[in-house]
Amino acid sequence: MDQLLPVEIVEAGRVFPQALSACVDLDSLLRLKGVYVGREGSHAAVLMDLLKGAPKEQKRELGAAINALKQQWEEGLKARQLELEAAKKQLASLADRWDPTLPPPVPARGALHPLNRLMDRLVDVFRPLGFHVEEGPEVETEAHNFDGLNIPEDHPAKASSDTFYLAAHPELLLRTHTSPVQVRTLLRVAPELAARGGIRFLAPGRVYRKDEIDPTHSPMFHQVEGMLVGHGIGMQHLKGTLEYALRALFGPHTEIRLRPSYFPFVEPGCEVDVSCPLCGAQGCRVCKGSGWVEILGAGLIHPNVLKYAGIDPTEWSGWAFGMGVERMAMMLSQTPDLRLFFENDQRFLRAMGGLD
Amino acid sequence: MWIERKALAQEIPAAAALETRQLSELLASLGFPVDGIASREGGDVLDVDITANRGDAMSHRGMAREVAARLRQSLTPIAMPTLAEGKPVVEVRLESPACPIYSTAVLELGPGTTPADIQSFLLALEATPKRLPAVDASNELLHRHGHPTHAFDADRIRGAVSVRWAKAGETLVTLDGVERKLVEQDLVIADEAGPIALAGVMGGDGTKVTEATTRVLLESAWFDPKPVKAAARRHSLHTDASHRFGRGADPHMAVVARNLLVGRLQAWCQATLVGAWTAGTAPAGAAPVPLTGTLLARIAGEPLSLADAAEALRWLGCAADLDGGTLQITPPSWRHDLAIPEDLAEEVLRLRGYEHIPSALPSLEGPPEPLAPAYLQRQRLARRLAQLGFHQTVTYGFISPEVDAAFAAPGNGAEGRTLVNSLGQEYSVMRGSLLPSLQATANQNLRQGAREVRLFELAPVYGSGPAGPVEQFMLGVAWGGTLGGEDHLSPARAVREADLSGIARDLGWEGLPPLRALGEGLFGFEVPVESLPREGARIIPAFRPFSRFPLVERDLSLLVDLGQSHEALTVAMRAVLPKDTLQDLRCVDVFRHKSLPEGRQAWLMRMRFQADRTLVGEEVDGWVAAALAAAESLGARLRA
Repeated sequence: MDQLLPVEIVEAGRVFPQALSACVDLDSLLRLKGVYVGREGSHAAVLMDLLKGAPKEQKRELGAAINALKQQWEEGLKARQLELEAAKKQLASLADRWDPTLPPPVPARGALHPLNRLMDRLVDVFRPLGFHVEEGPEVETEAHNFDGLNIPEDHPAKASSDTFYLAAHPELLLRTHTSPVQVRTLLRVAPELAARGGIRFLAPGRVYRKDEIDPTHSPMFHQVEGMLVGHGIGMQHLKGTLEYALRALFGPHTEIRLRPSYFPFVEPGCEVDVSCPLCGAQGCRVCKGSGWVEILGAGLIHPNVLKYAGIDPTEWSGWAFGMGVERMAMMLSQTPDLRLFFENDQRFLRAMGGLD
Repeated sequence: MWIERKALAQEIPAAAALETRQLSELLASLGFPVDGIASREGGDVLDVDITANRGDAMSHRGMAREVAARLRQSLTPIAMPTLAEGKPVVEVRLESPACPIYSTAVLELGPGTTPADIQSFLLALEATPKRLPAVDASNELLHRHGHPTHAFDADRIRGAVSVRWAKAGETLVTLDGVERKLVEQDLVIADEAGPIALAGVMGGDGTKVTEATTRVLLESAWFDPKPVKAAARRHSLHTDASHRFGRGADPHMAVVARNLLVGRLQAWCQATLVGAWTAGTAPAGAAPVPLTGTLLARIAGEPLSLADAAEALRWLGCAADLDGGTLQITPPSWRHDLAIPEDLAEEVLRLRGYEHIPSALPSLEGPPEPLAPAYLQRQRLARRLAQLGFHQTVTYGFISPEVDAAFAAPGNGAEGRTLVNSLGQEYSVMRGSLLPSLQATANQNLRQGAREVRLFELAPVYGSGPAGPVEQFMLGVAWGGTLGGEDHLSPARAVREADLSGIARDLGWEGLPPLRALGEGLFGFEVPVESLPREGARIIPAFRPFSRFPLVERDLSLLVDLGQSHEALTVAMRAVLPKDTLQDLRCVDVFRHKSLPEGRQAWLMRMRFQADRTLVGEEVDGWVAAALAAAESLGARLRA
């Protein structure tokens, strides 16, 4: 039969099976069908022309050959079409199916800064004891920062080597501690102290000292101070309150230890240690093997501080404490370098400050 | 301050029985924490932290007094020669009340040098012995008894010695070889040629004792702490002497220390006393301080016996007299920190041990005060932003003037916000905006590989006011980088300005926030916290009725000019729609493509209607037609 057909048709028939299997979707199969069995520009049209132009005696044999060939092509095309339709159906069913092993979209996670988080936590701890929050400006007067706190005129902290002063306003400075908030608050509430039965508040905030930036020092850092003024307040109330608060913060088995110390604005003064929360007072790198970690300074308010605010120290007394937030955050998180808190690398913030 | 254990035990023999660790714990419980322990010269030395109010404790004798009072054991009596004072060999004039007593002596030095055990003692304290007996003895006395003394080369002193204020223009080359320009507030020791020492701080180089010195003039005085501290700070000359005089030395030690010094020179180098004399007298002691049982009980937290308190205070060297129900306590000459009853109560508690203080919660006398709305607002803003995926930053309040100028509001010059003594130019101005810090932090995060950076800061910024910097709490937000692209459902795209304005809207900011491009694909804004709405005080808001009838939603696809304002279009459409029925009107899609007519874009406007009844199709059609007509009045056309 091949002798009856033109070379191109013979060749097309030879590659037909490969062309058929190269059709990976119904569109390409349709195009192939057009070429082989379609009416125009197709191999079928060539064959029809061939049949028309063939001598009469060959027509019967040629017609049979052409029909056989076309039937072969059509069968092939039909079979492939069934295959592709089945594959398409199968793909469609797969597309509808959810693969639970695919990674889900994760909502963006933000974080509070660990220092703010710790300060918020402290406020939460002291709220049930009736403490509220007082705040004050970061740019302060010498009077609020030093004089009202019984800090003597010649105290080294007043030197420009330790304190930042404003060039255009020599009487103003960046507060070196949050204690000016105590002075401002006491001055404000002094006239109504009796009516309100005393006052108790926390003063969280940023403070500034002229320290070079290194792994343990920063010219800006945070403090939280607490103050309570009432009737008959003594060291036992300071100890009781701190015991409550530090146990709420570090765990119910935390022990506290008061050691005598000196701060101009309190008398008596003390340093307060907690049993190491990291090793359970067994001794570790954080507590330097002692089982104790120094956590804050405190004491009974010096009578001169009350007098400065116009409060009679024979009628009223109170206590105050102050703690360094960075120091406590570093200790609790074992962060090795203070600068990490101010670099604000999102990886650090995410790890340290996720929402509760 | 270093304390050598053996030397301490010489002052308080009972301390010898304590292990070094026990001694450390005892000192810490008295308020003298031990920062470190070292082994030197065959014994342990303790690095003891002394608080600024306890100049009296800055010596082995001082520390021994504390240990003795806690252990209730006696100190070793001070052994010193008895000297007969006579006529001044060199006239000493006290011309300032800042030096009320000046005890002195002149000695001829003989052969001999500093004993080996004294050299070893000094080495253990990290004080290098000079092998000049007059110098080493003065140094040893300072560490052992806490009273600074000085030896001058007597043959280099010209005429009488006076203690006076410096005169303008005078200078002094101190022992460290530095020429000091003196001011009139400097108290000096001077001879007739000029200053020979900065009183209480450091001697002069011109009259120092050398190996050639054969005669010495000793100085054992008492100086007012204030000028000593001021001079040490003024000249950046913080010495062992200035630390002790600056914290308050014992005026009664002036004569004792002089005698001890003479005794040592006589013993160490066969010195011959030429003459000893004292100018002036020690200042009067402090008046008695009263301590009542009421005050003591209030501070201690429980009643304590006044007799026990008196005994404790006597162990510290106080004179204690019980006068009725009040103790009258006269502090010893070395304790300048016992001025008010609270000081005495502290001493009683300290010797008793702070561990005996009972523990109690103070009762609440009045209702607790609520947290301030401004504080709560910042807390809630921070939590909201963290929930939206933002990270809170804390950055320094000061920045460089150049960066500040690029961001601060017009008219907010840096002059009123500049620090006089900053850590450097880049930290010299209190910032007028949070955006520079957010920009720097965002860029740093992106440089370090963050795909997306979402930051916010809540902190004060400063304005230059006539009375000083004016603080205002601001919220700064920055968002940049690539959104999505990290899972199969979220295609990657760059952060757009619109993302950030969405955040501002979420926080309740009315209108368009003041967005600022902070770099390629990085945007930010800052707004005063007080301008954002505060949450109401109610925990559960008041009930607002809502319809239970079906909601009807209609979309209008409009072709509008590229310059069309969305706000103007919605205002026009809202104006013709029934207010009580229209629940929402918003643009839900923006389509811009070359297939659209030139200069036009397509907006898909979605309307939602709901009422307390079932809405009828015809009436909704009417509203939609009216909305379309309103849109068409602004040039919009229904998209085919």
